[in-house]
Amino acid sequence: MKNPQNDTGSKMGMWLFLLSEILLFGGLFILYSVYRFNNPQAFHLAAEALDRPLGTLNTLILLTSSLTMALSISFLKKGGPRRSLLFLSATLFLGLLFLFNKYLEWTWKVHHGIYPDAPRLLEREKGEVLFYGLYYSMTGLHGLHVLAGVLLLSVMFIFILRGNIHRNHFVPLENTGLYWHLVDIIWVFLFPLFYLIT
Amino acid sequence: MRTYILVWLMLVALTGVAVSVAGMDWGRWSMASALVIAFFKSGLILNYFMHLKDEKGSSLFKWIIPGVLSILILFIGLTFLDVAFR
Amino acid sequence: MPSFYEVGNRSRGILSWIFSTDHKRIGLLYLFSILTFFAIGVLLGFLMRLELIAPGPTIMRPQTYNAIFTLHGVFMIFLFVIPGIPSIFGNFFLPIQIGARDVAFPKINLLSWWIFMTGAFLAILSLFTGGGPVDTGWTFYVPYSLRTPVNVPLAVFAVFILGISSILTGINFVTTTHQLRAPGMTWFRLPLFVWAIYATAWVQVLVTPVVGITLLLTLTERLAGVGIFDPAKGGDPLLYQHLFWIYSHPAVYIMILPAMGVISEIIPVFARRTIFGYKAILFSSLAIASVGSFVWGHHMFVSGQSDLASILFSLLTFLVAVPSGVKVFNWVSTLYKGSIEVAPPLLFALTFIFLFSIGGLTGLFQGALATDVHLHDTYWVVGHFHYTIFGGTGFALFGALHYWFPKMFGRMYHKKIPYLAWAFLFVGFNTLYFPMLILGWKGMPRRYYDYLPQFHSLQLLSTIGSWILIAGLILLFANLVHSLFKGEKVGDNPWHGSTLEWQIPSPPPKENFEKIPHVERGPYEFR
Repeated sequence: MKNPQNDTGSKMGMWLFLLSEILLFGGLFILYSVYRFNNPQAFHLAAEALDRPLGTLNTLILLTSSLTMALSISFLKKGGPRRSLLFLSATLFLGLLFLFNKYLEWTWKVHHGIYPDAPRLLEREKGEVLFYGLYYSMTGLHGLHVLAGVLLLSVMFIFILRGNIHRNHFVPLENTGLYWHLVDIIWVFLFPLFYLIT
Repeated sequence: MRTYILVWLMLVALTGVAVSVAGMDWGRWSMASALVIAFFKSGLILNYFMHLKDEKGSSLFKWIIPGVLSILILFIGLTFLDVAFR
Repeated sequence: MPSFYEVGNRSRGILSWIFSTDHKRIGLLYLFSILTFFAIGVLLGFLMRLELIAPGPTIMRPQTYNAIFTLHGVFMIFLFVIPGIPSIFGNFFLPIQIGARDVAFPKINLLSWWIFMTGAFLAILSLFTGGGPVDTGWTFYVPYSLRTPVNVPLAVFAVFILGISSILTGINFVTTTHQLRAPGMTWFRLPLFVWAIYATAWVQVLVTPVVGITLLLTLTERLAGVGIFDPAKGGDPLLYQHLFWIYSHPAVYIMILPAMGVISEIIPVFARRTIFGYKAILFSSLAIASVGSFVWGHHMFVSGQSDLASILFSLLTFLVAVPSGVKVFNWVSTLYKGSIEVAPPLLFALTFIFLFSIGGLTGLFQGALATDVHLHDTYWVVGHFHYTIFGGTGFALFGALHYWFPKMFGRMYHKKIPYLAWAFLFVGFNTLYFPMLILGWKGMPRRYYDYLPQFHSLQLLSTIGSWILIAGLILLFANLVHSLFKGEKVGDNPWHGSTLEWQIPSPPPKENFEKIPHVERGPYEFR
């Protein structure tokens, strides 16, 4: 029907990969829903101790990075590699900022003796141990995805700079964008599930 | 470009709504409202930033998100059939 | 036109294979690596049977026995039957059967072979490092897998890596089927093998990640003590089982659906008749793939899950039997009034139907709540799944090998020897596994190192069966290997098949088709 290097094909492959990513996190969402259902009080109590302003800030950072990503792609398509690179570096910067905040948040928690298998955490109620187990697993896995995204964005940056990716061949950047937006969507769910429990 | 910025503004506004709703105590409805907002936000990202609604190359694109959602809901639902009635 | 053996890429020798992006070369890479792992799995099974030839210690210690049954499961499941038919024959024939020059992402295809080999290497490495070979059984159930001193972390990581390879292969096949069909190759003109691989690929993409995250959590549990599955820290070990079977039950359909696809190819060709109920077979593949993804709880009837869940999962389980039955009836109806030629591929296909029917029917006993209480974790279960997976997928793979061998290698094997090998295999198989059904019915638990004296005669019989079976395997593969070098050169279409792979030279040229064909008829219209 079409030649092997067609754009619809590449994007279809990327979307299929994203589906498998959704189900990778899906397993964790299954665990989350069961444990929250079984320990509503403990989850409420444990979530109080999370830094809601910092979480909100990180949400805004990722949402904004999605905007700059989309803009970068649209500028490349219109034939403006310079502006595209500008917005790409903004995306990169916001991604790194997100990771930095996450690092701060984790260090504070560890400092307070709340990390997996910590004696002070294990003294608490079982539900809270589970909450933090899920917190570290889910935000950790998400953080790894952000990190992978940052690396991918850097590779794209070099490709655009060298001219390997340009207005007539932009699917790799588009696929990177799809990945980046998905990582954002995952956070859109993680944020209320961990920071906004009332 | 204007669409992108409008969508972004809506996303930011929705985040604000979610945070302030969490500040009020809506009891059992707060979880539901947070999730509804999250679904709405992801819908915006999927359709506008990821251009899912413009993807015409194959009918597959129409089905993937509803498909994966129903699979996840079935997985969670069947697991709860055990957990909630044990 | 020179074949794909003669036209490589820029590299030479072995490099032109392990760095080739040609789907046919990758298919053959899988063929040889997967059959090597199969040989290891067979050897491990042979050792287990030898240990069980008499009660009490025979040739190994209990800990060794535990390691060996675990490894037998890990090798056979993750390195042989799950990748088996899709990765070997799917890679080789799916693009040709839809009239394409290659898969949609040839480089990712090569990458997934490399990832597969990395996973296999790590699995083997886990035997000699850390606390030694894993003794948990292939299911890695918590909490035991969290407590045992053996090298669980590396083993589960290896399986995680194998999962990535499986997902990438699935993505490739779904995209290929959607995007690269030749002009005129409509969805309802696809050969049923393609449909089966397509349905399987969806299952691979959608459920493999769930076991991926489960294994990753087991890993972090071991390394950091997170506590999500650890009852001592409030975790629920049953949730491990839920997540594990959300993948591992559909995984049995990853194993069997491609096998059913092979059978649907072989039967019409050797009955010289159009397949009976093309659409029924096709939709039953899709039905098996979808309903089969929601029956995982039937592995947990005695685990302590809620009765309500057990009842519903039991009902769903019986539902899957319907599309499986539809297939069997359609195959048999295809044979009806056909001019049947019992060539080796058909012989294996017919054996598939026979053995798989036994496997399927014995499965219903476990799907029923009351009888499962008696049968759970007994030799009955071991007998049941060897009938479905070995008797099913294994025999289908032998059938596929004999059906496509002339196309893949351009040579024909010695045609009499497969009948002899088949006789050994068939007798050996039933002598090996039928006693297991009886043993299980009488109450012999699975995975036990020792047994009561009253089980001795059946255990002995089973061990003797394993020798006959292995003799058959050796004969079968010796014939094929010999024919690889000495077999008679063969024409393009020795079986008079009507699907696209038979319309091109044997072995196929590098990009399969000189000109992409225009398809004007269904896959099983014989002249």
